[in-house]
Amino acid sequence: MIKFGPGNLRIPKFEKPVYCVAGGQTDYRKKYWEKNTSELCIEALRMAVEENDLKVDPEEFRRMVNWVVYSQFADHFGDQLLAAAKIHDYLGFDPLGNIEVKTGGATGGSSVLAAAQAVASGYANCVPVVGWERMDDVSTKVGNSYIASAACKDFESELGWMYTAYYALMAQRYQYENEVPRETLAQIACKNHEYAIYSPFSQNPGKYTIEDVLKNEMVSDPLSFLECCVMSVGAAVLILCDEETAYKLSDTPIKISAICGGSHTLRTADRRDMPILLLPNETEETYKDYKGKRRREWPGFSSFLAARMAAYLAYNMAGIKDPCEDLDLLETHDAFTISDIQTYEDIGLRPYGRGREFIESGDAYYEGRLPTNLSGGLIGTMHAVGATGIFQLVEILWQLQNKWAKFHANPEMWTRFGKKKPAEFRDLQLKNPKRGCAISHAGTGSHVTCAIFEKP
Amino acid sequence: MEWPTTALEVLSEKPLTVKNPKTWHHTHSYGGWGKFYQGLREKKILATRCTNPECAEKRLWLPPRCECPDCWHPMEWVEAPQTGTVYTFSTVTYPGELFKLPPGTPLISLEIEGVGTKLMSWMKEGKPSFGLPVKAVFNTDNPTHTILDLAWVPA
Repeated sequence: MIKFGPGNLRIPKFEKPVYCVAGGQTDYRKKYWEKNTSELCIEALRMAVEENDLKVDPEEFRRMVNWVVYSQFADHFGDQLLAAAKIHDYLGFDPLGNIEVKTGGATGGSSVLAAAQAVASGYANCVPVVGWERMDDVSTKVGNSYIASAACKDFESELGWMYTAYYALMAQRYQYENEVPRETLAQIACKNHEYAIYSPFSQNPGKYTIEDVLKNEMVSDPLSFLECCVMSVGAAVLILCDEETAYKLSDTPIKISAICGGSHTLRTADRRDMPILLLPNETEETYKDYKGKRRREWPGFSSFLAARMAAYLAYNMAGIKDPCEDLDLLETHDAFTISDIQTYEDIGLRPYGRGREFIESGDAYYEGRLPTNLSGGLIGTMHAVGATGIFQLVEILWQLQNKWAKFHANPEMWTRFGKKKPAEFRDLQLKNPKRGCAISHAGTGSHVTCAIFEKP
Repeated sequence: MEWPTTALEVLSEKPLTVKNPKTWHHTHSYGGWGKFYQGLREKKILATRCTNPECAEKRLWLPPRCECPDCWHPMEWVEAPQTGTVYTFSTVTYPGELFKLPPGTPLISLEIEGVGTKLMSWMKEGKPSFGLPVKAVFNTDNPTHTILDLAWVPA
């Protein structure tokens, strides 16, 4: 059993406040042979620097940068070790110091965490975070095999060479313990595919009915194609600064009030029962009836300890008492519909066992209490792994700066990516949102980060 | 000097896209965990247990570990029971490249008496369901030397 010592749950703090001033991204595609990885990264960086109303010109900006963080999941995919060095040079940041971060699916979140640490400590005061993934060098089947080599190759990868299967094992158990109808899972898929319709960056938009999802072919039961994330090529960038630099660059900087990480065993098999780590909006009373005949342990296969850890630290760091009340928007790592429901519980949107209510109640929609994955998420828009956690925060940044329409509703943005803005367009800019949260997630929950961005 | 005689296959001219062939293998040592796979050849499921009397974790580890993650003491090898129950399952219709079994293979996670972990494995016969009692079978004739040499059938 995992027993926490007093140091293990220390709430992180920044020595100096950390801000985010700009974000940029490419569109996301299954195949992007038109551009090499360096070109994609410079495109995302240029959008961040040139299209975010910064008060300095690009040349002046380049002279302000003093550290760069790179974010790529798998060298396997791009088949170029030290790709970050090549991209760093291409972006014109040579000979500044830089570092590449790797924590699987959570690489984007971890990279932003590393950049925030650099700013918070005073080591640097202007840090671009550049993430990408190039997943079109190999077939989808080989790509899935590469991704599954991020499971334990000695004891688990061989059983399917397919992450969807490892999630399906959790999904079956979750449904057995909590009796979630497939219709509820399908609702998440329909929601995120639909929101992707309103994003010029999205790879897999579509208007689907619950019936469509239920009839869709299984990848590994109970997960159908429409309930799984896409495999993408693309890049995303965020610019992090200290307070002085942030206001020099921008009139609307957004504060990073917390970004924290947790972990759990790479092998799902090795997860042992332990007491539930309580969030600020929970008490022992919340879980007095938690265990029963079917739900015999925690976290088991139904919950992600890493997500709970990350939320515990971040909520306490940012002073969040109740996420549904205190947050205005959320981006989850919806790699699969089932992991989304699991995450709702891990981050305290509903108590364990009742995650379904978050989607069924309407809370997760644009009109709801805590709009979730208005970006289209991983199911509808993208999962170019190293860029994913950054993409989530770019979308949150724009929402908090009231710039969603500038990047989504402008027809020029659509033609830039060879698309036409849909005739039935919906404006998804929230009314004056103050605080957003993003969950970046790896493995079957091996690493998770929780970031809280808020208007200062 | 002559020009090279092998050329990359061109997949597209615009943009110029080529195919980089890869034909080598990777060597992989199981290290201290190799005993587990060798055990399967003798129809044994070898797990490990912490040797530290002070350690609170008395249950078996399967997958095995040579060191205890709770106290870092060495583990001892112990034969695990060859029966268990199905904790969860899924049938993988679209497996990734390298999967050595056909699409439609039922994957399972197992609960085994005295074992603290839930080993991932597969069912060679029968249909999985929650709590289904199963027993181990071993691929000893043509072992793959992977975790696939262990499978389960209804008990």
